[in-house]
Amino acid sequence: MSLVHPVVHRRRRSSRKWRLVALVAALSLVAFACGDGGEDTSAEEVTAAQAQAAAAQSDAAAAQSEAVSAQAEAEAAADALAQAQADLEAAQAAAAAAMEGDEVSQSALADAQAALEEAEQRATESAEASQEALAAAESALTEAEQMLDEAMMEQEAAMGPVRVRAAVTGDEASLNPYTYISGFPGWNLLMLQYDSLMQLDADGIPQPWLASSISVNEDLTEYSVTLVEGVTWHDGEPLTADDVAFSVNYYINNVEASRFARDLRGVEDLVVTDDHNATFVLAGPNAGFELGALADVPIIPRHIWEGVELPSEHDFGDTNIGTGPYKLVKYVEGQSYRFQANPDYFRGAPAVDELVVIVFADDAGAQAAIRAYAVDVIFERIPPEQIDLLDAEDSLDVILGPEFTTQMINYDASKRPFDDVAVRQAINLAMNRQDIVDTVFLGAATIGSPGWIHPGHPSYNADIGTVYDPAAANALLDAGGYLDSDGDGVREYDGQPMSFEIITNASDSLRLRIAELTVEMLAAIGIETSVAAVETATWEQAVWPGFDVNNGRNYDIAMWGWSAPVQADPLRLPQLVASVPAGGFLNLTGYVNAEMDTLSAVLGTEPDPAERNGILGRMQEIIAEDLPFVLLLYPDGAYVYDSTVYSDWEFIAGQGIVSKLSLLPPSARP
Amino acid sequence: MRRRIDVRRLTQYGVVVVVAVTLNFLLPRLMPGNPLVLIAGVDVGLLSPEDRAEIVARVGLDAPLWKQYLRYWGDIVTGDFGYSFRAKRPIVDMIWSRLPWTLLITGLSLIVSAVVGVILGAISAWRRRTKTDLGMLTGMISIESLPSFWLGMVLISIFAVQWGLLPSFGAVTQASDLVGWAHAWDIISHAILPVITLSILATPGVYMTMRYSMLETLGEDYIRTARAKGAGERRVLFGHVARNTIAPVVTVLAIRLGFAFGGTVIVETVFTYPGLGRLVFEAVSGRDYPVMQAAFLVFTAAVLAANLVADLLYPLIDPRTRTS
Repeated sequence: MSLVHPVVHRRRRSSRKWRLVALVAALSLVAFACGDGGEDTSAEEVTAAQAQAAAAQSDAAAAQSEAVSAQAEAEAAADALAQAQADLEAAQAAAAAAMEGDEVSQSALADAQAALEEAEQRATESAEASQEALAAAESALTEAEQMLDEAMMEQEAAMGPVRVRAAVTGDEASLNPYTYISGFPGWNLLMLQYDSLMQLDADGIPQPWLASSISVNEDLTEYSVTLVEGVTWHDGEPLTADDVAFSVNYYINNVEASRFARDLRGVEDLVVTDDHNATFVLAGPNAGFELGALADVPIIPRHIWEGVELPSEHDFGDTNIGTGPYKLVKYVEGQSYRFQANPDYFRGAPAVDELVVIVFADDAGAQAAIRAYAVDVIFERIPPEQIDLLDAEDSLDVILGPEFTTQMINYDASKRPFDDVAVRQAINLAMNRQDIVDTVFLGAATIGSPGWIHPGHPSYNADIGTVYDPAAANALLDAGGYLDSDGDGVREYDGQPMSFEIITNASDSLRLRIAELTVEMLAAIGIETSVAAVETATWEQAVWPGFDVNNGRNYDIAMWGWSAPVQADPLRLPQLVASVPAGGFLNLTGYVNAEMDTLSAVLGTEPDPAERNGILGRMQEIIAEDLPFVLLLYPDGAYVYDSTVYSDWEFIAGQGIVSKLSLLPPSARP
Repeated sequence: MRRRIDVRRLTQYGVVVVVAVTLNFLLPRLMPGNPLVLIAGVDVGLLSPEDRAEIVARVGLDAPLWKQYLRYWGDIVTGDFGYSFRAKRPIVDMIWSRLPWTLLITGLSLIVSAVVGVILGAISAWRRRTKTDLGMLTGMISIESLPSFWLGMVLISIFAVQWGLLPSFGAVTQASDLVGWAHAWDIISHAILPVITLSILATPGVYMTMRYSMLETLGEDYIRTARAKGAGERRVLFGHVARNTIAPVVTVLAIRLGFAFGGTVIVETVFTYPGLGRLVFEAVSGRDYPVMQAAFLVFTAAVLAANLVADLLYPLIDPRTRTS
């Protein structure tokens, strides 16, 4: 702080116009002082301990090299011994030969005897030497091992527990099953505290988790689970099948948290057989129950939640607990979450001891922070233009993987001219997907299949091609009678120009750029469009009024995208493409197709997985032909992290890196 | 006489309050969009119409508009604004936890910009039409046209990313367990960049007001008279110019004090500062009606109070505005 004084002093003497400059300088100095103040001591301690560890390590290395040389000596001695023995044999042979000779050659005998003695002596010597060397080598090795162990322990102590600071770009409220806000990363963070009966593995397939085994009856109506024994809640109480039954009933009876109530829709009864066994009895067959419910619903403790009336407004204080690998120890509204590892976690203690999740106001803030090494990972996808930039930073790495989010074009297929499949097909043919992937996403996206399902998904129908052919699109429109009769470059339908507004949300800059390219691509087939970039709530209200498809829609063309869960489970496809009365509650385009309705009705109840895949294959064909919407691309997931802090991130296909798997040691992952 | 004027003024303020409160209530509801997604979570589309109706009823959005309006007045009287749709926390707590942070940076920058602006404005006017004046004027106009997010990002990239001197985000180091002086330094170091940004952006306004007000005063007859009767420069400046100049500046500052409660959305966003501006921004983008209503009310009250302060200060500074 002494540095500030000369500046203040100078400020007094200097002319008035320099006061501002001096003030800024003083502030910078203060900043300098405080910027340095905070972390120095601990940093120094760590550095010192690291140096010590390094010294111990080099000591150990020296001991090891000593041992190696001792061993070499021992080997040399052994060689000498062998040589001596060979000499001895030769001498003995010579002696025997000498003895046999009639003309006794005394001198030869004497020679032989001397040689024998010499050889014997040499052999003894080298045997001794070799033994000594061996002993020395052994002790050196033990010493080296000891030193290495010590060094490792010291280093571990110096590094302290592993602490990861993660950035998110939105507050997730108090993060209990009824308050978390976003599906991603809110639910993902919630599931650090809680466990579900199953857990997705790296391929996105549900694996046994809290349930050690799951068995299903033949017609997919009964799912029996056996719980892992010895699992405890964070307060030490044991987890039992009773908690599972309580959780299920609680979610069903408190619809506030739509997601879990919806997951469990169709559960008629939950039969608890004993402390560790229970059976879900479903109203009808449901092939998607494992992915949709068992791997999604967090199990909550009965002894805490019993009697909680309005869970979203209940103050749980420090009883917001689960069985998960982390316990949320502190939440500062709008600022941060602090998670501490649960050392007694049933799959093994987490590899990261403390996780601090910091809430940023926007992406740019989070990216600046990771460049300044003020956070260690960003729990949000980074935009394509940042991938190379951040990867180029010294200790930052970027992990890439498939994501099941989508960018697509929606249109109101219930009204002219989009009710004509030829118009929809023409739009599909006019879209140069590769161009969008290259120019907007700089390659960090996968070209969309017109049949909806991601090529990286097991249910993808590989027969469906993605064609870009504006000439064919023009031909289709010509054949359909959509002609440009007045020669203004815009086709007409029913006497009006084919001129539409593409509505999109201004907050998604990538989507906005796709919309702009779409305008050009549609212009090439004589459809005139303009982009209306509006605020998110306004856009949602136009495309999905009141979030209820029964309210219809107020747009011609809209850019749209679904979050990953909609695509991760192909059994949810009927929700998108079945007619509204047939359960298409995500059918935002007003699309109706009778065969699709029939297939939708049987998809979730078909017990045979191969048959189910067949149905999905056919549905994809119909979508690609009929185009209820035009799927453009699937953005790839890209996450940036500081590899010097923690690098064991696990990318779950379609989900990204924000999960308990990333924070558990590899041995504890499924 | 005095009493009657006070009553009139009080009535004026009363009318303004009623109009403002009504607007606070109506504006959020006139915006397109729907708070349901915040209340029910992202998968709101998957809810059945019955579930949806139950949720809407629970937060009272099914009531007729006039009933909701009356309830808002009830909230104002009792000081209990209920729960945020989004954060599901008591709104009063949320505002109280954010207000100090907002006031810290806006208040400090108000002081800095007032001091710097007044001094530079005075110098500029005193040396009118010199190089100093022109230079300052040009500089201030350039500064005023800087976009705040850009300035903030430039400061972040220099001080935080390049030099690593200052934190680029937040009001404190998260999960740091700092106490005492270390904690105080932590808060100060986090406030420096936002305060510098806000101060730089706020200074030109004060400077301009001060400069023009003083130029006007310098042109008055009484200044010529003072000079003519042989008063020294110092006496002219402090005895005659300063007092007559300061009134408009005080008005500007008082109104800014009112706005200081509103926080500054952009600067708070750039620096991830947990102030009221960001709270309101989040509430507006999510149609979190109760939070919007409560926060707008705070702004209304602050601006009105600041006006009142200015009204009360005026007679003290400028005897001509005193009622006879």
